[in-house]
Amino acid sequence: MLTDQGALRARLEGIVGPPQVTSGPGANGAFAVDGQVPGLVVRPGTQEEAAQVVGACAAAGAALVPWGGGTAMGLGNPPARVDAVVRLDRLDRVVEWDPANLCVTAEAGMRLAALEELTARHKAVLPLDPPAARQVTLGGLVAANQSGPGRLLYGTVRDWLLGLRVVLPDGERIHCGGRVIKNVSGYDMNKLFIKSLGTLGIITEVTFKLLPMPAQRTVAIGLFPDAPAAWKVVQRTLASFLLPEALEFFNPAALALLLPDLGVPAMPGACALAVSLAGSPETVSRQTRDFATLFTAGGGKAVTLAGEPAATAWEAVRNLRGRPAGTRILSQVAVPISRTGALAAAAEKAGESCGCPAVVTAHAGSGVVWALFLPGSQPDSALAGALKELRLEAEAAEGSLVLQEAPPAVKRNLDAWGAPGGGLGMMRKLKAEFDPRGVCNPGRFVGAI
Amino acid sequence: MAGKALAEELRSIVGKGNVLEGSVDLQLYQYDGYLEERRPDVVAFVHSTEEVAEVVRACNRFGTPFVARGGGTNLSGGTIPFRGGAVIEMIRMNRILEMDTANLRARVQPGMFNLELGNALAPLGYQYLPDPASQKACTLGGNVAENAGGPHCFKYGVTTNHVLGLTVVQPDGEVVQYGGKAPDTPGYDLTGLFVGSEGTLGICTEMVVRIVRLPEGVKTLLAVYDSIEAGSETVSAIVGAGMVPATLEMMDQLVIQAVEGAMKCGLPVDCATVLLIEVDGLKDDLEIQAKAIEDLCKAHGAREVRVAKDEAERALLWAGRRGAFGAVARLAPSFLVCDGTVPRTALPVVLRKVAEVAAKYDLRIPNVFHAGDGNLHPLILFDWRDPDLMARVKKAGMEILGLCAELGGTISGEHGVGLEKMESMRLVLSEADIQAQKRVKRTFDPEDLANPGKMFPAAEEVSHAH
Repeated sequence: MLTDQGALRARLEGIVGPPQVTSGPGANGAFAVDGQVPGLVVRPGTQEEAAQVVGACAAAGAALVPWGGGTAMGLGNPPARVDAVVRLDRLDRVVEWDPANLCVTAEAGMRLAALEELTARHKAVLPLDPPAARQVTLGGLVAANQSGPGRLLYGTVRDWLLGLRVVLPDGERIHCGGRVIKNVSGYDMNKLFIKSLGTLGIITEVTFKLLPMPAQRTVAIGLFPDAPAAWKVVQRTLASFLLPEALEFFNPAALALLLPDLGVPAMPGACALAVSLAGSPETVSRQTRDFATLFTAGGGKAVTLAGEPAATAWEAVRNLRGRPAGTRILSQVAVPISRTGALAAAAEKAGESCGCPAVVTAHAGSGVVWALFLPGSQPDSALAGALKELRLEAEAAEGSLVLQEAPPAVKRNLDAWGAPGGGLGMMRKLKAEFDPRGVCNPGRFVGAI
Repeated sequence: MAGKALAEELRSIVGKGNVLEGSVDLQLYQYDGYLEERRPDVVAFVHSTEEVAEVVRACNRFGTPFVARGGGTNLSGGTIPFRGGAVIEMIRMNRILEMDTANLRARVQPGMFNLELGNALAPLGYQYLPDPASQKACTLGGNVAENAGGPHCFKYGVTTNHVLGLTVVQPDGEVVQYGGKAPDTPGYDLTGLFVGSEGTLGICTEMVVRIVRLPEGVKTLLAVYDSIEAGSETVSAIVGAGMVPATLEMMDQLVIQAVEGAMKCGLPVDCATVLLIEVDGLKDDLEIQAKAIEDLCKAHGAREVRVAKDEAERALLWAGRRGAFGAVARLAPSFLVCDGTVPRTALPVVLRKVAEVAAKYDLRIPNVFHAGDGNLHPLILFDWRDPDLMARVKKAGMEILGLCAELGGTISGEHGVGLEKMESMRLVLSEADIQAQKRVKRTFDPEDLANPGKMFPAAEEVSHAH
């Protein structure tokens, strides 16, 4: 616990102004991290203020937790301490907008949806598509390495991030990368901060490269009587020349959630694949045709959507893993691509084994399975046990299972990250070098970093 | 220097015949594609991760610096053993360990030539996308160390976008696995941090790379211009029109003449510049894209646009581009390859300014570059026997990098910092930025044995601090 919260509060008020600092469980309850309510919540208004805030917290030995849109606050282990939450939402300005060079620089608290609106006006797009774009901030997107269906064709944050400004744990400000698409001027420091979950500092500004917006987009959906039939089609797709933006798998429970937005008839017990096809009219219509053929030949029923219905359906697909609300255990399984189907099946089994049916979706061509459990009266230990089994299968396939959201009681029974892979020793050394006092997001990361 | 005793120990690790210490032998390892030279004390040929680890541990025991070497094609002095010590020759670790098409991955050793992997993948219908122009002679491990680029980066990214896992011998000799075949490995992205670290954070001995299907179709065009500005403006126009070609390469007149002198690719020697443009992907719209590009080129003043009719014509156009550095060697005894990057729309300005620099220092500077990436390679010609000329060459090189930094770009797009650009780092990085990078170096290599004396500028004098 912080010994002199009052002194730190006064210091922070001096930096950001009294209205931007709150204390007490009433005001700060909404910023609890795994149930721990922060003593102070502070909202810097500029990057320089953010640096001073971090410096003041460091000087006071206060543990700080950066907070963007709050969408990834469930990720990781319960924090060792939370003295101050640093909200970045006031840092929401565009710093440099350069459509001619397909490049944008913005402050870290800007919402992804706001960036999407800006780029769309100039027919450009940042092809990173996690759910909840209205909440997700650009800094959070980077720090928590969030991704969505589009990672099949476009990759993840590491493929689009050109530059960062970061406040290091001692309050020093640094700049990583730049705004050109090839840059080897020293170490690729951007990579140190992507997915570091705020443990090495606070991201205050990001620069992304962009893509010209595709001229056209359609969505093709295939409904299959069982999962193996769907996964055979996935295999055939990956071996073909076809270049879908995204290739998503839904188990029956996931499909049931999606049905109202897809505009396809209910088919009890069915699994589904959905692909997004973007590009020129010629390639889109060819791929739409080819997927209809693939789905049908694979024993499925094919439905094609275009225009507004396609956009509505895809918005629902993108946001599915955020639904439904309530007490949730959301886990991300990542394995080599060819094992995706097997792990999706294992996730369903894990749900059955603990009496808590799983909503399973997968980025089917990318090796990523999302398994959502909605616990009822099951004991936490049963849920944790089922997840442990699933994790063992993922790790046996050279992969991992990471808890993205879970009640603290479940996290007490199950480490959020699993067996640390290679390099944990070096990761700990990096943490010690950059944050020797352990003030940035302590305890939430891999190996209790 | 450890000398004899270290050599003896290395022989016990890698075998008697695999250690060089004669002066003629060592001379072959004292240079790369940059201008400086420094002789190593010993060279060891390694054959396995275990051997590399043991060699590195032996170097640690003797406090001897070490640097891994692949094809030695580096252009910034990355493989020169600046403080002497051991060169670890990786070239015999050149096998494909696993071709895993089901997972779209290959596991390879770092001493394999980039092109060899491509040649092995093509019959299976797959490719590894990073393709530096030197792909015949540069190794995959060297590509990792330098985060190498190539002509296809505009659409497909650089080496780091295609390397997902590494087996690394850390500077203390410990063998660690970073990343792997699965995505989203929990923890810091050590793979991403390692790629481009120029041998200063350890030695990679195995890599997991992304492979992708060969495209269904490819169209290659050559646009010929009488003005270099018109050519570079076309580049921005193509991107502005929403197209994402696989390549957008430019060569200027001096380069074209050198290429034609060397290999007769049928390039027009009287034009100011040519643009080599390639579109790939699904075959359905390639004709349409090619036509749209042709129209844009003409609208921006191209006097002629040729479309490769078949694979042979395409290969000939590419042979010219890939052989450009080699061909320019016909123009002068030596040349310094500059490697700066600017935002794409600044290309016309920077090209004009490079021409001004050439005039100011009375130098010939042919230019061949990745226009789509805004990555230019002015090649400053010189004769190393002329010391006055050498001095002007270095000044001109620095000035060109300064221009790139001023225009919002950077001092190295794909060739690395090495020895060449240590001082130029200050053009784009603050003291705090440099200190943060040094923290990384210190964390991985507290003894400063892994390729020491590279990448970082000399400590800043207090009076210059900002």
